[in-house]
Amino acid sequence: MTALQNLTLPNRRYSLGLGIAGAALKYFKYWILAAVALAFLGPLALSLSTEIDLATWFYTGNIAKWFTAFVAGGFLYALVPNMIAAGMTRRELSVAMGVFGLLWSAALGALVFAGLLAEHAYYGAMGWSQGVKGDDAVTVLGSWGDTAAFAAVFPLLYLAYFAAGAVIGAAAYRWQNTGWLLLFPILTIVFSLDNAVYDTEPFGPAWAGVLGRFMDDWGRGLVLAGTAVVAAGLAIAARRILIDIPLRSKKA
Amino acid sequence: MSFSATLRDVTLKYRDGDALSDVNLELEADKIYGLLGRNGAGKTSLLSLLAAFRKPTSGEVLIDGQPVWENAAIVSRVALIREGGDFDDSDTVKAAIETGQIRPGFDTAYALKLAERFELPLKKKVRELSRGKRSVLAAVCGLAARAELTMFDEVHLGMDAPTRDAFYKELLAEYMERPHTVILSTHLIDEVANYLEEVVIVDRGRILRHEELEVLQDMGATLTGPAAAVDEAAAGLEILAEQQLGGTKSVTVAAFAPGTRERAASAGLEIGPVGLQDLFIHLTDPSRNGARR
Repeated sequence: MTALQNLTLPNRRYSLGLGIAGAALKYFKYWILAAVALAFLGPLALSLSTEIDLATWFYTGNIAKWFTAFVAGGFLYALVPNMIAAGMTRRELSVAMGVFGLLWSAALGALVFAGLLAEHAYYGAMGWSQGVKGDDAVTVLGSWGDTAAFAAVFPLLYLAYFAAGAVIGAAAYRWQNTGWLLLFPILTIVFSLDNAVYDTEPFGPAWAGVLGRFMDDWGRGLVLAGTAVVAAGLAIAARRILIDIPLRSKKA
Repeated sequence: MSFSATLRDVTLKYRDGDALSDVNLELEADKIYGLLGRNGAGKTSLLSLLAAFRKPTSGEVLIDGQPVWENAAIVSRVALIREGGDFDDSDTVKAAIETGQIRPGFDTAYALKLAERFELPLKKKVRELSRGKRSVLAAVCGLAARAELTMFDEVHLGMDAPTRDAFYKELLAEYMERPHTVILSTHLIDEVANYLEEVVIVDRGRILRHEELEVLQDMGATLTGPAAAVDEAAAGLEILAEQQLGGTKSVTVAAFAPGTRERAASAGLEIGPVGLQDLFIHLTDPSRNGARR
């Protein structure tokens, strides 16, 4: 991690967060490039046999949410022993993970935002319809403004999924056999809010969207505010789990 | 500036019992300590507290007079190297070394020099290393940490004898060049005995002994000479170990009765210090009271 060179004690938490974000994006660059290529070439291939009326980038963006949760959980699970053994405090690690989460969510959010806008132009040029499948009907993103407004919430959603993954990763390290069980309540809350944002069918296991029925009348602004609150709450929970986490004994 | 370490009334409980009970320990700065104990005695638990890998259930752990827990200025200069190291197995060896740069004092050039000397394959993944090479990587990272308190917990496991010897020599050279506090936790007692200044023996979660090496070694003696003379001098003493080659016999005794040293000397026996390992085995013998709770 080049970001670690020449660091100082007061700034190393930020340097590490920056370094992890850079390393993660570098590590997954081919996955990301493959997803981008698929998002543009997929509809082209499908158009040979069917009419294109759904935004491929909507699906790409949704898959990236799960990916974000896995990255957050997996990285934190691996970083806890490595970084504490390397002489970091748990507080520093939690700040570094916060920086990582913000940068990762911003980077992926920006990519999906750009992807959806590029797709808008692409679909327009090809005469296709950029639609999003909702609970009852397909909503067409007719204008640049519609597409931009639709795409703008992705960074916030990535942040919520990142925080969810971080809580589960920290809990899984701390409570070896049972920590992962937090996945169920956390997933239910985040997933239901996510689906309420677009009023769509759950993009994942249907049971996880069970709370959606209570959010039907919330309106988009309230759902987004709720998502922000949940993301913040999960970040606080991850920090709380992390703050006095013991390192596991080494197995012989 | 090297770190001292203090444990005050420290207890560490696990779900299945106490790992450490009411431990009080003072370690001065700039010394090399040996931390000895049988399996499960509490050595690793004690080191984990000093490195803030764990929080004590009760009591205080101070490094350089300050609480170590969540103290970035301290933990960044304390290194506990556990057997096999704490690495991301998917990292390359070079990346694993560079992770050490999170410590402001980490000496990357020194680490890479050691890696070359110990023939570590920088491009290989950590998970592809043999147990011995993994131990070497851990040791290299520990030395290059340039910490003020460096602790090696069974880090030599898997290393062959020449590598262990080279590691001890490098550790000593680094210590001579830059005095700091070192704690070696090991079962290869006689192998490290020559490097130690003080010895801490942990037994069943308590500090059994904390003495200078010479003080411990003077607790007993090794008598060598004609078998009959040795047997006579050692009669009535607690024998820790004995060896015989032809007519020459060597007996390690736990403690001298008054006048024994003089009698042995007048009988022409050679009197040497007691082997640390023999003494350790004797002191931690479960049939003795030791530090039993």
